Amino acid sequence: HTLLAKNNRLGGPSSLPKGLGQAPLARSLRVLNLSGNRFAEVPPALLQLRGLRSLSLGGNRLHGIPPDIQELHSLEFLYLGGNFITAIPPELAKLPSLRYLVLCDNKIQSIPPQLAQLHSLRSLSLHNNLLTYLPREILNLVHLEELSLRGNPLVVRFVRDLTYNPPSLQELAGRTVKTRNVPYTPSDLPESLVRYLSLASNCPNPKCGGVYFDSCVRQIKFVDFCGKYRLPLMHYLCSPECSSPFSSASQSSTSQSESDSEDEASVAAHRMQKVLLG
Amino acid sequence: FRYTRNLVDNGNGKFNLMILCWGEGHGSSIHDHTDSHCFMKILQGNLKETLFEWPEKKGNGEMTKKSERVLRENQCAYINDSIGLHRVENISHTEPAVSLHLYSPPFDTCNTFDQRTGHKHKVTMTFYSQFGERTVCVSTRRDASH
Repeated sequence: HTLLAKNNRLGGPSSLPKGLGQAPLARSLRVLNLSGNRFAEVPPALLQLRGLRSLSLGGNRLHGIPPDIQELHSLEFLYLGGNFITAIPPELAKLPSLRYLVLCDNKIQSIPPQLAQLHSLRSLSLHNNLLTYLPREILNLVHLEELSLRGNPLVVRFVRDLTYNPPSLQELAGRTVKTRNVPYTPSDLPESLVRYLSLASNCPNPKCGGVYFDSCVRQIKFVDFCGKYRLPLMHYLCSPECSSPFSSASQSSTSQSESDSEDEASVAAHRMQKVLLG
Repeated sequence: FRYTRNLVDNGNGKFNLMILCWGEGHGSSIHDHTDSHCFMKILQGNLKETLFEWPEKKGNGEMTKKSERVLRENQCAYINDSIGLHRVENISHTEPAVSLHLYSPPFDTCNTFDQRTGHKHKVTMTFYSQFGERTVCVSTRRDASH
């Protein structure tokens, strides 16, 4: 059930046998450790190991995570620390049993808000990356017990002038499909569009009820943990006209954080305070 | 999911001797040592120790790193509050690490520090196991091992 192959020179195109998905191993392998090798990408053959519970690719040369990682639907433990990963695909959030996710020591600049859909997540390691803020949805990870964020250039002051990219036609069409509940089945659309529609996020403004995909207004809000630790959380709103549930006119952030205390976000923030690792 | 502190001997109340087990990528917060002597010996793997200056009284900026080093198997280190503060980490992504720690007198609370601001926060430390038996943690407050 366990294959430990760490500290080798695996990484070339034929490192893993192509027939891996058809082998009996595909269903029975539970633990695979390929840390300390030379993989520049997650070998596609690996994604056929449907019974896999624990995967380590720490200390390799990965530049990204393939969206098909979602195929490993038994995965509970995923270690990707010490690579060159720059972005996290939202599909990673489709792993229903993921409890322990390590992404430390990479080059990650942002966390997709969809990651908050990892309901089983207990531990998230993000230290030593290039994060300047976090999505506010991170507060929704109710079962999270550990979160490491040190060694990221998290913004400590209010950031003005955040750019707004107007939505594409695809985005506008996607929004309409979702908000008007236009019915569709997978046979109606190309697979890529079915996937796109499944990645809709809800606008946090409770009065809006809209959705957005990639185009949104970003607003950094500081969630204050009893004046000792301020985490910059990025609030995504579906358009500049949509007002934040937390907003009042002033842009001086120090007084803003007091008004957060009435929000449901502050209840979540209080829970997060227990979770943050220095 | 985090490194574990496993008490081995409590020296009739004069010291705590414990073994810390660090998984890949596990690290501690920056912390002080509550006026006690602290000895650390690496039993397996490697640990990186980063020393920091105490933050200014009204400090509100990034904490100052004094030095860092990687301690190898069988190497020893010592620290106390007059020397400074430190963070200890297993920076390996492939190997776990094990260290032996001696604290005299024993202490169960310390301060952890936010590297970006120097703000400190008092925490209670807990054991994963004591004398070979798993300790069930009842505390609901935020705790920090080490």
